[in-house]
Amino acid sequence: MVLLKAVRPAICSSSVFDGVPMDKVSFVKFPLPASSLSMRLTSGNNAKLSLVQATEEPSMPIANDCAAAISGENLHQIATNGKATNIVWHKSPIGKLDRQELLQQKGCVIWITGLSGSGKSTVACALCHALYSRGKLAYILDGDNVRHGLNRDLSFKAEDRAENIRRIGEVAKLFADAGIICIASVISPYRKDRDACRALLPEGDFVEVFLNVPLQICEARDPKGLYKLARAGKIKGFTGIDDPYEPPLNCELELPQKGNVCASPCEMAETLISYLEEKRYLQA
Amino acid sequence: MVAVKTVHPPISCSSSGSQCGQLVPVPKIGFVKLPSLSLRLNVGNYARLSLIQATEESTVAMTNGRAAVFSGENPPQMVTNGTAGNIVWHKSSVGKVHRQELLQQKGCVIWITGLSGSGKSTLACALCQALYSRGKLTYILDGDNVRHGLNRDLTFKSEDRAENIRRIGEVAKLFVDAGVICIASVISPYRRDRDACRALLPEGDFIEVFMDVPIEICEARDPKGLYKLARAGKIKGFTGVDDPYEPPLNCELALPPKGNSCASPSDMAETVISYLEEKGYLQA
Repeated sequence: MVLLKAVRPAICSSSVFDGVPMDKVSFVKFPLPASSLSMRLTSGNNAKLSLVQATEEPSMPIANDCAAAISGENLHQIATNGKATNIVWHKSPIGKLDRQELLQQKGCVIWITGLSGSGKSTVACALCHALYSRGKLAYILDGDNVRHGLNRDLSFKAEDRAENIRRIGEVAKLFADAGIICIASVISPYRKDRDACRALLPEGDFVEVFLNVPLQICEARDPKGLYKLARAGKIKGFTGIDDPYEPPLNCELELPQKGNVCASPCEMAETLISYLEEKRYLQA
Repeated sequence: MVAVKTVHPPISCSSSGSQCGQLVPVPKIGFVKLPSLSLRLNVGNYARLSLIQATEESTVAMTNGRAAVFSGENPPQMVTNGTAGNIVWHKSSVGKVHRQELLQQKGCVIWITGLSGSGKSTLACALCQALYSRGKLTYILDGDNVRHGLNRDLTFKSEDRAENIRRIGEVAKLFVDAGVICIASVISPYRRDRDACRALLPEGDFIEVFMDVPIEICEARDPKGLYKLARAGKIKGFTGVDDPYEPPLNCELALPPKGNSCASPSDMAETVISYLEEKGYLQA
């Protein structure tokens, strides 16, 4: 174990920082290359200490003679800047891996797309329930609900549909980073917009699920009475009637599965759970 | 215990109503008078069955003669509509209370506001760490980071600052609903915008923490070199220099505490933790 002394930020006069003696140091030569400047000492159950935090979260650059939280982009400055005299003990921020360890699962986005009435919300609900019964934390971002809150300033014009999907994608990304299994249940009719959301996430963390239910069946269900209104001309630009739905070309899962077109929401949820288990999202 | 028989949604062909391994008989019934709208049977560790799910998540409206998922807005129809022939057993959707039970904490927003350089991100980080060491799930929404993702379309004009804060508030609300202790670290200089975020959440769930650090100290720190740029006129409308900061009038916590102006980030984090403990947020 390397014993390193540290200094407190100049603003504080206390000479002890969390029980670590605080003598001033001059330039400290690290035995390790810059890429592994992070040294972790496990303290207590989960707390970790790192000499240098490589993180996206704080964005404060290093300044001479001023101890500061050091961001990933500044590791190079520390390694090469001979004048950096004060190194700060700063607890490593909690990251996605830590949260996943806590939750015993991996964060990801299950993006359920399909026509209105295809069963997206129903499957989302069944999946959420099935995950909960396995002790997993999931959260549903339902297109309708988000349009009452975050996206209440958006209409159904094409550019606003795109912005609706973009924002949901960005929020889903935050939830996945938090370690949560985020279930997005949104018509998301345009391929370009769904693909843009996929691109926000690491490979594999975006699981596109296509509820492939024929328009006739969706319209026969008409759970919200919207097809009736659209056919009567009272809603314009309704997906499936007078606005296109572009089915995915390469989704991870299509439901219901061929040969089981009468699958219940529960059965479809179990198909999704098997996929998540196989891809190891239901463990840290 | 009231035994209620059920029907399956007509779309499914299964006749045994198998719900993830738990068999529920599904004969057709006429109108059923319910003693109370929600019947909860504990099945297994976490799974619960409710006759009617009162949830914000599902928004599928009830229609006559057709089993459907009921949204939170429609329960009155259920009770008064004498012609509703089919009542559906539908698993209660997983709600905030369930997630909080799973996480053993209550969701809330810790809204850290203050000048640039006042220590918001540093406190957020320390708080996150301290909560993680207690096995609690938190997530930081840092103003800088969100402006690279969800809010990358926004500038620093005052209307965009307002929209930045509004969106962060709405996202924080979603995290709170997910049961997460969400730490928002944003300058959020205008009182009206912070108060609007407060209004999005139930009483008590919005915990405003004011980093009350004089501008001279913030400027002396200048961790990102922004005050220097602002004084040189290279940044316009910089909070504290040529744009106002409106301190909170009624925040839950002001840090550092009076009489301990040299409190470390860790000390201040412990102050916040004591508050959370006292208010019951660190338990289900």
